[in-house]
Formats: sequence, C-alpha cells, structure tokens
Amino acid sequence: MARAWDVPGLVPDARFRDAAGRVILTRWREMMSYREGTLRGEDIEYLHAMRVSSRRLRAAMDAFADVFPPKSFRRHLKVVKSVTDTLGGARDLDVAVDHLSGLLPGLDDEDRPGVEGLVARYRVRRRGEDAHIQALFERLDEEDYARRFERWVCRHTGVDARGLDPRPPGGGS
Amino acid sequence: MAKPRPVAGVRPHKRVRPNARRILAVRIDEVWAYGDDVRDPGRVTELHDMRIAFKRLRYLLEIFDVAFAADLEPFIDEVKDLQDVLGDVHDCDVQVPLLEEHLAMLEVHGGVTDAGGGGDERPGIRTLIARRRAQREQTYAAFLTEWDRLQREGFRGRLEAALGIAPGA
Repeated sequence: MARAWDVPGLVPDARFRDAAGRVILTRWREMMSYREGTLRGEDIEYLHAMRVSSRRLRAAMDAFADVFPPKSFRRHLKVVKSVTDTLGGARDLDVAVDHLSGLLPGLDDEDRPGVEGLVARYRVRRRGEDAHIQALFERLDEEDYARRFERWVCRHTGVDARGLDPRPPGGGS
Repeated sequence: MAKPRPVAGVRPHKRVRPNARRILAVRIDEVWAYGDDVRDPGRVTELHDMRIAFKRLRYLLEIFDVAFAADLEPFIDEVKDLQDVLGDVHDCDVQVPLLEEHLAMLEVHGGVTDAGGGGDERPGIRTLIARRRAQREQTYAAFLTEWDRLQREGFRGRLEAALGIAPGA
C-alpha cells in the first residue's frame, strides 16, 4: 500500500487551524496524484492507493471539522466520500477476482464451474465500474473542483496549496 | 454505521495538542463502548461499528502523532491489528449472505448458467460458503483473543497516559 505523504511544515506546537490546512491539502494532493493511473486502469494498485488516500483525506477532514463552516464542510466531505465510494465498488471486485482466481488451482473439478462462474460475473461487473469512475472525474473537472477545494481550505486555514507544495515520500513528483 | 459523537470545546485558534486530546478522548471512549457487545459473535452490527471506531481512532492517532512527545507508533500498530482482524470478520459477514443469494439464484436455474461454462455451479458456491463460515469462526476467535489481551495489558490506560488524557475523561 502506498505510504502517506509527509505533511510539509507541520510542527509539534502548530495551531489547530494551520495544521488543518497543511494536513488536508497534503492528503488532497496525495489522493489526486493517483488519478491518471486509476483512469488508465493498467495497474489495480493505483486505484487502491487513491481509495486509501481518499480515506485518509476524509479522516483528516473529520479531525479538523471545527475549523470550517458546517454547511460548506458537509458539501465538500460529501464529494470526497463520493470518490471513496465510487472507487470502493471497483476495488471490492478487484479483490474478489484476485482472491477467487487464486483459489482456482487448488479446487476439485466439481467446485470449479461455480468459482469460475463467479469470477466471470465479477469481471463483467468490474468493467461496468470503469464508467462510473470516468464519470466521477469528468464531473469534478467540469466543476473545476480541485481549484475550488484548495481555495476553500485556504480561505478557512490560511494555508495555500501552491506554497505548501506537498510531495510523495522520496521527493518525486 | 454509527456516526462519531460530537466533540465539545474544540478551539481552532488554539494549538493542536489540547484539541487533539479532547477529540481522542471521545474516540477512545467510542471504541471501548462496544467492549461488552462484541463478546457475542452474533452482534454483527456492533462488531462492524467497533471496526469503524478503531479505524477513526487509528487515523486520528496518525494525524495528531506530531503533537505528542510520546511514541504513538506501537499504539497505532495495535489499533491497526484490531481493525484488520475485525475487517476480516466483516468480510465474512458480508460475503456469506451474498454467496447464499447467488446460490439461491443458481437453484432457480438448475445450477447452470452461461457464466459457469456449462457445469453445475452450485457445489463450488457451497464450498465457498463453508470456507467463509469457517474463516468467520477463526477470525472472530482471533479478535477476541487480541481484545482480551489489550484489556489484560491495560492498553487503554497506557494510551490515555501517553496522550495526557485523564482516565475516563
């Protein structure tokens, strides 16, 4: 599983509001860094990493909820939750196919049709999930959501994502 | 899924540590509130809710780790282990009814559908159900062993001490 990115400038005696901006924007950028790999769909680990990051982001938002006005907070949390949920459907099927395919070599002949049938069904359903993922990202793009989210966080915490510039462990891009 | 309880007295203009203590005290209490219910293996909802409570606690410990002098990593590892084993229990609780539903559908079609390549698909599904049920028993027993160990070792008290939270705050 992908490691969480370090949060730039987070110090032990930080103000709660400042820490909120740094942690949330780092987790946001971390989550979005897996977007292209998820859309390409060549490696299921990108989707997994994006989903894990979205959970970390939600946890950070919950932790610092008191920094934000309740109404706009709920709206943004709902969007992040939609990312987790949309990716979750695909991830569950990826895991199920992987698990069941791994069982196949050790099965009795009598048990094979049932498990092969289940794998085939899950594969069909998994292809359908790609359309949901594509639609989610298109909607976020149409709404210019990334810029809006980062500006919302900046407005209430004073932390600007451009100045923060979080990077993955090891400093790559 | 149980919603997290609201936390009173969080002050965004103050430093992280006192606010983190308030939040973590409530989230620790939420986990331990399920302590009695989860001794019954049939309390599926409570076992799931405890997993979510453990998950919230783990993420918060990771987020607020920087604000505390104590090394929280061993506590985070323990919480993650409990979250994982409860996750395995939950997977079985979700999978068994889905497989039973699938089996019921197969019964309607005489066990044969296009997806199964012409053979009777029911034996394989029955095998998967039996495996998942056995796995549920094993993972629940593993959970209970770990949960009892945490109680014996005074995990909650040690965690609260490391965070500077008054016991039962």
